[in-house]
Amino acid sequence: MTDYEVRVAGERCDPAAGWTLVWDDRGQGLARLVNGARSVPVVIEGRGTDWVVTLRGRRISVEVLTRRERLLADVAAVSTAQAGPVIVKATLPGLIVAVAVAPGDEVVEGTALLTIEAMKMQNEVRAPRSGTVMEVSVAAGQVVATGASLLRLE
Amino acid sequence: MPTSPPFGRLLIANRGEIAIRIIRACRELGITPIAVRSDADADALHVRAADSSELIGPAAAAESYLSIEAVIDAARRSGAEAIHPGYGFLSENPAFARAVEEAGLVFVGPPPEVLEALGNKLAARRSAESVGVPIVPGTTVALGDDVSSVEEIGFPVMLKAAAGGGGRGMRRVGSVEELAPAIDSARREAMTAFGDGTIYVERMVAPARHVEVQLLGDRHGSLAVLGERDCSVQRRHQKLVEESPSPAVGSALREALFTSARLVAETVDFHNAATVEFLVDDDGNHYFLEMNTRLQVEHGVTELVTGIDIVAWQIRVAAGESLTSEVLQASSRGHAIEVRLYAEDPYDSFRPTAGRVTAWRMSEGPGVRVDSGVEAGTELRPEYDPLLAKLLVLADDRPAALARLRRALDETLIGGLQTDAGFLRWLVDDPAFASGRYDTSLIAERWRNGPALSEEELALASAAAVGARMGTAPTGSIRTTDAGSAWGRLARREALRR
Repeated sequence: MTDYEVRVAGERCDPAAGWTLVWDDRGQGLARLVNGARSVPVVIEGRGTDWVVTLRGRRISVEVLTRRERLLADVAAVSTAQAGPVIVKATLPGLIVAVAVAPGDEVVEGTALLTIEAMKMQNEVRAPRSGTVMEVSVAAGQVVATGASLLRLE
Repeated sequence: MPTSPPFGRLLIANRGEIAIRIIRACRELGITPIAVRSDADADALHVRAADSSELIGPAAAAESYLSIEAVIDAARRSGAEAIHPGYGFLSENPAFARAVEEAGLVFVGPPPEVLEALGNKLAARRSAESVGVPIVPGTTVALGDDVSSVEEIGFPVMLKAAAGGGGRGMRRVGSVEELAPAIDSARREAMTAFGDGTIYVERMVAPARHVEVQLLGDRHGSLAVLGERDCSVQRRHQKLVEESPSPAVGSALREALFTSARLVAETVDFHNAATVEFLVDDDGNHYFLEMNTRLQVEHGVTELVTGIDIVAWQIRVAAGESLTSEVLQASSRGHAIEVRLYAEDPYDSFRPTAGRVTAWRMSEGPGVRVDSGVEAGTELRPEYDPLLAKLLVLADDRPAALARLRRALDETLIGGLQTDAGFLRWLVDDPAFASGRYDTSLIAERWRNGPALSEEELALASAAAVGARMGTAPTGSIRTTDAGSAWGRLARREALRR
């Protein structure tokens, strides 16, 4: 059997011992973790190394890595950890209702950058880290899709 | 049951779970239900549930579900005699109600004059005050540039939109320094949402319960008061959980609430369904907030405890039927709780989520009702409300209802996007909620962004993921880069940010 390493939010986790996964509806990813008389329903999505397990209503992103994948992931992590430009992207589709920053602005992590209206609610997009706004790619009134580049921070 | 259907064909000017709820009422009354659809909803559940549907425009609600002209045209084309607006969209729009009547159709809701009189929350405050119903201390005129009146009320205050609803245009203001920016942003939000930036001010009542009274009236002057609902579990001033009876309301307060609700309804020539909302403070004083002149999202709670089908009666009284003594003398039995399943992330300030529902299993069994607008495979649209379904339970008393709700939530499984189900399950076991002694601050004070993941949860999730991988990919056939990894990185970053 392959020896897997499991990580949640980059931290190593040990799978609970004694629990077996039993599928209820594979098409929908509905399953149960079973341990003797105990049973916990879960919803499972994903493939390969990246999985999302919904447990008691909460989505938990879980990486399941072989030794080889682990080494590759660590190398990749080192190369992206260095400070460089960050493209802030839309995490949900919607209408840009306000842009609070302009190129040249210094922002600290958590600063509200712009407001996207989606699902009839206004959502603030905040700076993922401190830096200088280099470029703003959207303007108020524009509709954006998930993943659209909003602005660049350096 | 009437011997002949109130209408032959009825058009439902809405979508999602409420459209399906109304379609079901139509079927039980022998009415042919006609759905409407935007381009985005061609294959939606509510469209398939109806006998036929009419296209009313593109995905953007402003050009489809909010277009008076498109909806009236659809009703004409389909041969409908009446239009049920559901909630949201055009339901409280007097111009729409008037257009329906001018087209020779029946509007299933209160008359346009009532929507007009009570749709403006400021005017409603003045009406309530004029008949002696207590209102939250504050202004009864629009807030202008002179904000000295706000300082007289005393901080903290709530800013509210005169055209308001659904928590939009509402701001809590703690001090005079916060006032100017809060007024600006409340006005802007109200302008965007309602096309009217008029703002007024109320003193902050805290701690407070949010309790509302369900009314049902016919065209012949009869008015039924169908009990109260407690809606104190809120985020962004929007309800997530409703129950009836309210654990905070004793018989004296109940009488007072019912009397106030009647008095407010009597300021207008009311018929059909409406809800009068109040705040109740720690000393048991109640204050009128607003009257919603439409079917409420949470109407099912009242249906469960009274046995009265509010949607069916809306249609029957719209057709001119009189309320029966059974409705007028309805009493409440047992305890009902509704929880709303939303596409929202309760671990991140209830931020709306989006995407495709990949797994969908709803609870069943004794005392459980699910009003749902989605199924496995549904793609959630950012244009529309993120409500996925309402889960309701009925039991003999509150402890039994909580036990039933716990069981029902444990049976509820949703995949593909984060929902508030984890919060709702937490709530059932929260000591404040379980004891019935909670107020509108519960989410902000007790839940915040939810508990951190426990070691046990991490270990279980890990075991599930390993089990899934072992079951799907044979050893040796391994993917290192695929479309999933970008999502994985994003999710990890999000998890780390918390």
